[in-house]
Amino acid sequence: MPVIVVGISEMKISNSTEDILITYSLGSCIGVSMYDPVSKIGGMIHYMLPLSKISPEKAAASPGMFADTGVTTLLKTVFGMGAAKDRLIIKAAGGSKLLDQNSVFNIGERNYLILRKIMWKNNILIKSTDVGGSISRTMRLEIATGNVSIKSGGSVTNL
Amino acid sequence: MSTREKVLSKISAFPTLPVMASRLLNLLDDQDSGISQIAEVIKYDPALTVNVLKAANSSYLGFSREVSSMTEAAVRLGTNWIFKIAISSLINSSVKKPAEGYDLSAEDLWKHSMVTALTAENLCKMLKIKDKGQIFTAAILHDMGKIVLGEFIADSFISILRISEDDQIPFEEAEKKFIEIDHAEIGGLIAQRWNFPPQIVECIRFHHNPDAAADVTPAIDIVHIADALCLMADIGAGRAGLRHHPSENSIKRLQITSSILELAVSQIPAALESIDDIFKEMPVEQLAGRW
Repeated sequence: MPVIVVGISEMKISNSTEDILITYSLGSCIGVSMYDPVSKIGGMIHYMLPLSKISPEKAAASPGMFADTGVTTLLKTVFGMGAAKDRLIIKAAGGSKLLDQNSVFNIGERNYLILRKIMWKNNILIKSTDVGGSISRTMRLEIATGNVSIKSGGSVTNL
Repeated sequence: MSTREKVLSKISAFPTLPVMASRLLNLLDDQDSGISQIAEVIKYDPALTVNVLKAANSSYLGFSREVSSMTEAAVRLGTNWIFKIAISSLINSSVKKPAEGYDLSAEDLWKHSMVTALTAENLCKMLKIKDKGQIFTAAILHDMGKIVLGEFIADSFISILRISEDDQIPFEEAEKKFIEIDHAEIGGLIAQRWNFPPQIVECIRFHHNPDAAADVTPAIDIVHIADALCLMADIGAGRAGLRHHPSENSIKRLQITSSILELAVSQIPAALESIDDIFKEMPVEQLAGRW
């Protein structure tokens, strides 16, 4: 099965039922998977930061780096390919944090808050999440089934 | 023999860094020496010359005409790049090793070390802190203690992680509770054995706990923050994950704002790309296929 790796600050889409989208090394970053079970269109993003206002140039060159530019671009792309909003299944993983962090270091939590805000604004529910804690995660989406699994510390769970 | 003594006995067997590393640091510290002196010294090390020329011709730097001599490369790259490429190449060829107990391959640890160094450099630029190569070098070497400690924690990793979770303490504190020494102290001792400048030794020794240093310098805080950001972005965090404690005091001392921190994070992908390209003679393991 072709494995499509979604690197840091990247987003990938597929409508080929043979494909698997996968993203490694989710610490404070967040991986979001999107899937329409009818059209079998899936997408995944691995964003690092909540808001693009800190560097519009970076956002222009690499929209997947930020939640605001990346998640909205990915939504538009999957809709453009034919995914339906009312069928879209959104899952999220990551947003970990360092221990006892002060507010400046709290990027993981801010990353998740902005995702919730974007989805709320777009009137889309987030179906399930595995966020927070101080662990590293890998996220995997099978286009054939829509199955999303999370690997962390040697164990794999379905999301 | 206590575990601490057993660990300490391994330090003497740790590889020595080529004398060239200290010579380059001295040249950079010397006001009177310039790029031509640095190029002159490097020219006498054929392997190093090859690496510098490869980097000068890498696609990342985007020059169309190929350079074939150290003098040309020196003009093209300038002191800062020549130093960065030379020091990382020296460290790579002598101490690039896995830290097994931490679940870090040689490539994982190398990537973490280089991204920390490049992040430290970016922080220095943003905060207008001058680095004469010492912060960059310390940042590459900050985790080398893990190479020594790796074999000792391999069997007891789960117990150490449990202590860290139960007592709600950073992984390195649990490491110290269990093994009586942590990787930062070991790294500092190795750098000391190499007769490295005290500033580099201190940056390595206190990279997880800058507030414990007798004299906290901006260099120590920079290496600490750069490391914390790379761990947070899971660049070579290994099995210990994000179980580390960033110092609020470092943030205050350096007057780092949320935007500065986020800008530093936004530069991590470019740092990863430059490692893959400029430092490509040092292969970085591809992540694909690890599932």
